[in-house]
Amino acid sequence: MGTTLVFLLSGTLLAATPLLLAAMGELIVERAGILNLSIEGMMALGAVVGFATIMATGSHWLALGNQVATGIAVGILGLGLSGLIGKPYEGMTVAPMKRIPIPVLSEIPIIGPGLFNHSALVYLAPLLAVGLWWMLRSTRIGLIIRAVGESPESAHAIGYSVLMTRFLAVMVGGFMAGLAGAFIATVSATLWSDGMIAGRGWIVVALVVFATWRVDRLVIGAWLFGLATIAELLVQGAGISVPSQLLTSIPYIATIIAISILSMDGRKMRLNAPASLGRTYNSTA
Amino acid sequence: MMRLPWIVEPRIGRTGPRALLAPLIAVVTTVVAAVILMSSQGVAPSRAIWQLYVAPLSSLYNLSEVLLKMAPLLIIAQGLAIGFRAKVWNIGAEGQLLLGAIGGSLLPLWFNDSVNPMMLPTMAMCGMLFGMGWAALAAFLRTRFNANEILVTLMLNSIALQLLYYLVSGPLRDPYGFNFPQSALFPQVAMLPSLFGMGRANVSIIVALLATVAAWIFVERSMTGYKLQVGGVAPDAARYAGFREKRAVWLSLCIGGAAAGLAGVFEVAGPLGQLQRVVSPGYGFAAIIVAFLGGLNAIGILFAAFFMAVIYVGGDMAQASAGVPYAVNTSLQGVLLVSYIGARLFVDYRVRWRRDITQQGVN
Amino acid sequence: MKRRLTNWIAAACMALPLTGIAATAEPVLIGLIYPTPVADVGWAKQLDLGREAVEEAFGDRVTTRVVENIPEGPDASRVVNQLVADGAKFVVLGSFGYMNDGLRLAQRSPDVDFIHASGFRQAENFGTFTARSYEAFYLAGMAAGMVTESNTIGIVAAFAIPEVIAEVNAITLAARKENPDVNIRIVWVNSWFDPAREQEAARAVISQGADVVFSLHQDTPSVVNVAQAEGVYVVNTGSDMSAHGPDAVLGSVVHDWSSYFVEAVGASLEGNFEGHDERGGLASGAVSVQAWNDVLTEEQMARINETEAALISGEAHVFAGPLKDQSGTERVAEGEALPDPEIFAMNWLVEGLTGSLPQ
Repeated sequence: MGTTLVFLLSGTLLAATPLLLAAMGELIVERAGILNLSIEGMMALGAVVGFATIMATGSHWLALGNQVATGIAVGILGLGLSGLIGKPYEGMTVAPMKRIPIPVLSEIPIIGPGLFNHSALVYLAPLLAVGLWWMLRSTRIGLIIRAVGESPESAHAIGYSVLMTRFLAVMVGGFMAGLAGAFIATVSATLWSDGMIAGRGWIVVALVVFATWRVDRLVIGAWLFGLATIAELLVQGAGISVPSQLLTSIPYIATIIAISILSMDGRKMRLNAPASLGRTYNSTA
Repeated sequence: MMRLPWIVEPRIGRTGPRALLAPLIAVVTTVVAAVILMSSQGVAPSRAIWQLYVAPLSSLYNLSEVLLKMAPLLIIAQGLAIGFRAKVWNIGAEGQLLLGAIGGSLLPLWFNDSVNPMMLPTMAMCGMLFGMGWAALAAFLRTRFNANEILVTLMLNSIALQLLYYLVSGPLRDPYGFNFPQSALFPQVAMLPSLFGMGRANVSIIVALLATVAAWIFVERSMTGYKLQVGGVAPDAARYAGFREKRAVWLSLCIGGAAAGLAGVFEVAGPLGQLQRVVSPGYGFAAIIVAFLGGLNAIGILFAAFFMAVIYVGGDMAQASAGVPYAVNTSLQGVLLVSYIGARLFVDYRVRWRRDITQQGVN
Repeated sequence: MKRRLTNWIAAACMALPLTGIAATAEPVLIGLIYPTPVADVGWAKQLDLGREAVEEAFGDRVTTRVVENIPEGPDASRVVNQLVADGAKFVVLGSFGYMNDGLRLAQRSPDVDFIHASGFRQAENFGTFTARSYEAFYLAGMAAGMVTESNTIGIVAAFAIPEVIAEVNAITLAARKENPDVNIRIVWVNSWFDPAREQEAARAVISQGADVVFSLHQDTPSVVNVAQAEGVYVVNTGSDMSAHGPDAVLGSVVHDWSSYFVEAVGASLEGNFEGHDERGGLASGAVSVQAWNDVLTEEQMARINETEAALISGEAHVFAGPLKDQSGTERVAEGEALPDPEIFAMNWLVEGLTGSLPQ
């Protein structure tokens, strides 16, 4: 029982980390008013080469602003390229990243080995989340990002560059997605194979909406999604049968319900959702 | 505050040959990318071009494969484009296609020994209704709860896939199929008639062409189509003229869903002949590319679907004959749309260096 | 160029026997399509070893061409067709999902011989090959029952298709026979290919006490890596993966198609190929357990070898009666053995397994 609980905690944290990393990037992007649907492809690319390629694709997508089509195109491109680049590495294994047990805390029974004996990135993700929360709330950059996402016209009027802000936001988002992909390939799975992102990119998009664009809920949401995947495996292992397809669908169904409830109350939605999300913005001066 | 060293402004009065420029640039870029990618895999450029763009058209069989591939892309893209023009972003065609395939499979599986000639038309209706119903969920949530249709249709894609997995490994599994996750084979009356009596092209391409004509008439000649477009281009004007936004949402999603559903039926009643785990190699997403590549114009989409199908078939043949990896295919699809969008930027917008503008300002 | 064009048209038009005169001197083209990329281990790799054996056996008489990573679905048909159009006379279809299209093409191309993995339909020029992996897993199950200290065996399985169900049952029967107290924990991943999830599943059963883990039909060393890191034993499918887990691998269930491929290609070259259902087991060498771990004592290995010999000679049978299913219903009577068609359509779990098959 003890080891099961340890795994429930550590497995959840491990499964949640790539989701959280990519979702934080997506949150910044969406807060700046861009809906980026290429996460899956970017994670796949990230899993092979990290963030190098995002430079090349980042620039296309802002100017014309058709985010849906571009996101899907870049996503497909990313998946394809990852397959090409990764070809020589198919099925190869790398050494797992070193675990860093946190002194004192890792000595606590169950919770210690569950939560405080991981590789650096696992601890880093929630720390980054705190930083992100602070940045969005209390810094000038955060203010600019939110202003651009809320009302690009006003942001422009008071002298902020909408395109530049969005450009940088997308770069950061791409970097985070790549980092998440790299995490899966090098930390959790320690091997590369074509198609290994296996739909997690779509979960990330769901997660950001589920969290209503708030960082605190994003962290909780990522842990919940991680917990759901781990709990399903443990339940199966315990001999209790559950229709796995239903369980796999839960994050998506939950997200649809979340979108509906939030959008229903117009005011509540306005508090969180970037008002210009997904809309094209043309600067003319 | 840092600024980009250039600004982007719309060109006024886009007309004539310039509209053709963007797709042309995209096609050329894709061809160049194909040569580069294939060369990186050790295939000579001439061979690459031959394999990708000439071989698919070099025999009746290959042409029939192109038409087979083109049909679903064309049908879905026409349906989506109508919604996209009204600025209703249905990106759930993949899920709607799966629902169509499921709906279209029910009859031939329930009446597996049927010889009724009405089987196919009924299946098609059924599949369209299923696809429409799946899309209507998004329309309902958007109109009733104001839920963003991009996100809802996206989530519905993933749910549809799980639903299909559940059905083929449970309720719709072939009882005599050794428990493999797939349905029984359809009876002959449930199969689409082949087109040339050889190859795999079937009447779906004819239906797709008819759908193209219908889409063109709907958009260019019908009042409803006109209203939809106005609603997309100038929502305020549309509202002023008494067009309802809710109606546009419902109409757009239902048309897109029905089209994708129909394409789903044609996949199971055509090349597959049964319901299985893999119904679509991503037609629903590829069709979004096709719709934009065709400039959301019924005639443009016709050419875009054809080009896309040629890339697909050429890619498969290059893989078999020249050992080029499957990933090249996927990459080229991505290159095609990214370069199209890049090209549209330069065709529709003017990019000017900020420095020049400042100087002009002084003048 | 023109000649090639004519060839394609000719091949397309019902694939009439191509220029038979030229065929004598030129090497015969053999095409193989695999569902996944050829890596250094896994299903595709084992098929590719079969191809190498064919090249070695027939030298200049054949050339081979591999098309890898072809998803199952309507597009696979085009690839196979292209191989035939390019003149392939022998085609290996490396995955179940290529069945219907392959069969259709075989009917249109009577001069081309096909062999198809895991299928259940045959024709004159269309044979099928399936591994009796359950026989090898029976042996591995014995070993698992011998070495487990926690009396818990974990199974990470891909899909609940009959082939995999038969393996789960074989493992359970063997382990229980060695050690009646053994508990089996199964997790169905419902994917052929999601290494991160496979590893989570492996960790889940390990956390629930399993000290031997079976990796059923995972193409990558995902589960083997976890077992090595967690210090438990692992039995994997496909290739010898002991390099990825030198201490962890208890044994690898290895597929070896070389002798069957050589035999089938040979028959095809001679013109006397007959599509039949090849079920390769321990006896034909198509499956075997390799890289047995040193932890097994000489006495234990002797028992395993003895069972292997009995299974090969036909003296013993994995699914010999009396055999009851989960609900206690008798499936095989005393003194009988489960007939082949029922093994290859297995959809029930043997007595003692908890949980039900995923729908």
